Amino acid sequence: MNNINKQYEKIKKENRMGLMTHVVLGYPDLSTTRDAVLIMAEEGVDFIELQIPFSDPFGDGPTIHNANTKALSSGFHVKDAFDFVSSLHEKDAVQIPLLFMTYYNVIFHYGIEEFCKKAEEVGISGLIVPDYNFSAEAHDHFLEIAKKFNLILINFVAPDTSIKRMKKIDEDAEGFVYCFARHGVTGAQKNIEASLLSYLEKVKTNMSVPLAVGFGISEAEHILAIKVSADIAIVGSAILRSLEVGGVAGVREKVRSLMEVL
Amino acid sequence: MNLFSKTQFDADEKGYFGEFGGSYVPELLVGVLGKLSLEYEEAKEDYKFIDELQDLYQNYAGRPTPLYFASRLTKELGGAKIYLKMEGLLHTGAHKINHCLGQALLAKRMGKKRLIAETGAGQHGLATATVAAKFGFECTIYMGAVDYARQRPNVFWMKQLGAKVIPVEYGTKRLKDAVMAALQDWMSDVGDGYYLLGSALGPHPYPSMVRDFQRIIGVEVGEQLQLQEGQKPNYLVACVGGGSNAIGLFHNFLDDENIKLIGVEAGGKGDKVGENAARLQGQPEVGVAEGYKSFFLQDSDGNIAPTHSISAGLDYAGIGPQHAHLFQKERVKYISVTDEEVLQAFQKLAKTEGIFPALESAHAVAGAIRIAPNCQKDEIMVINISGRGDKDLFIIGEELGGDSWKEYLEERSKIIKE
Repeated sequence: MNNINKQYEKIKKENRMGLMTHVVLGYPDLSTTRDAVLIMAEEGVDFIELQIPFSDPFGDGPTIHNANTKALSSGFHVKDAFDFVSSLHEKDAVQIPLLFMTYYNVIFHYGIEEFCKKAEEVGISGLIVPDYNFSAEAHDHFLEIAKKFNLILINFVAPDTSIKRMKKIDEDAEGFVYCFARHGVTGAQKNIEASLLSYLEKVKTNMSVPLAVGFGISEAEHILAIKVSADIAIVGSAILRSLEVGGVAGVREKVRSLMEVL
Repeated sequence: MNLFSKTQFDADEKGYFGEFGGSYVPELLVGVLGKLSLEYEEAKEDYKFIDELQDLYQNYAGRPTPLYFASRLTKELGGAKIYLKMEGLLHTGAHKINHCLGQALLAKRMGKKRLIAETGAGQHGLATATVAAKFGFECTIYMGAVDYARQRPNVFWMKQLGAKVIPVEYGTKRLKDAVMAALQDWMSDVGDGYYLLGSALGPHPYPSMVRDFQRIIGVEVGEQLQLQEGQKPNYLVACVGGGSNAIGLFHNFLDDENIKLIGVEAGGKGDKVGENAARLQGQPEVGVAEGYKSFFLQDSDGNIAPTHSISAGLDYAGIGPQHAHLFQKERVKYISVTDEEVLQAFQKLAKTEGIFPALESAHAVAGAIRIAPNCQKDEIMVINISGRGDKDLFIIGEELGGDSWKEYLEERSKIIKE
């Protein structure tokens, strides 16, 4: 069984919500990224998205975009991502599922097959690639190749995804489905839109995989607000902000405040 | 006149031109792009829509544009007989108005309230701001901070038209970053916003739709040349950034393989990374960015590379997916010319024909200067003068104006300070 599914079983057994957090690899430098990941694992986070920086991060707002640019200009390369994960597993004995998050060209350029093979080798459990959707599958066979290497390619739904399309996405969905909480880009925001819950209920009715909700989920109160419908909360930009403001200690504090309400 | 004909080089229903194109976008844009495709397919079959578009082409934009026989340039180059397709005479100064009118009509049809666009040289932004004013849309234009600084006259005009112009401060601060900023704005406002993309690129259906609104250029060339020469052209030459003016000129002739098609890329100031925007020279690399698969200038990890061109409109790391397909099928030949050749071509056209081409279009002129002397005298070459050079006053002033231009700027700035 894939590590992601195993972790989800554990979440269910503990009768709580899950939490996925996020780091940009190499921002501000790799040793800080490592410290942040270890703190997240220690504090009991369920999944971590390790973002491989890209020059044109389509889905990211200014906070994460700047982190991408800075990581790249300080000399981060894709091969560093694989080495980093290897050492997390071998030296640091991190057990929770790790997912690579990046944009499709990083993988396409590396070679989809080679990338997936390498990712499996270093112990990655899944891939989150926001600018790839199944309409490209007939040309690119990314989902098929990811499966071959036991990687879960996470699928997405948006507030305006039709029921017909949700069902179609569900056919191949594994692990969990990433629900965009709102239209926009990544970034912390103050309030949760009122229509979010009815949208999540619609997803729940029409899809069989657990619901992970991200985009604009930044505070404990947001998690409380979606708790009835969501299975996993995804927090990205807000944690990056706490890293920028309070260093790794800030990350620990932020993660704790989120873990408390799961 | 058949505005929307198909060729053997067109996209399939999913938007793939061979292996290129498609729709590589976050799920957040899938719904709205699907609606746009459907609406566009309907509009193409709607006589009212086509009539309205043709009326605007003629009475608002100023179509048909002249196909002008450049006799002195022809004589000087001593080869092919050269005609200029004068798209720069259109309202707002470039071919961009063609697809802006088409898309504004579509936005109106879809009940949208706001137009969002990116711009490089500012020509597409200016044309978008123009149609926004004409149709009563709100308008937001994204422009890379580098382009914002070098194309200030267009920024000024866009603001006069009521548009909000936002400089994009991240990435390379050029056209590709403006495309992303515009797409992200649209992701946040899919209900009321219409993304009026400015070239034949991006996710499906944009590459096909923008091309269809531009193919009037080639349709007119065919008809005008038939009247003036009683024959078809032998060569068509156009500059290629994203590729909208080139595909607009070429499309009507793609199936006639006797006609030689030449796209001219920006060779900039050298061959090194960041010195040019020549994507199809050397060993082109396939990539996926900004929603489509095509050839992109990129580094060893797939990051989109920085570019340079004297013309902001060609300063772009990607190329429209139909061009990628036409390159792979060897239907169009893509060459590149340097900034220096471009400035010389600008001066040559000014002095032989009394025409200032935009720096983008001067690339096409430079390409023709290289090729035409080797052609037969009875062969006909059409160069697309996609825009006029007025907007480039400050760049060309710096390059060619010498000390007197600097003195003028200093005097102006003194007067303003007083």
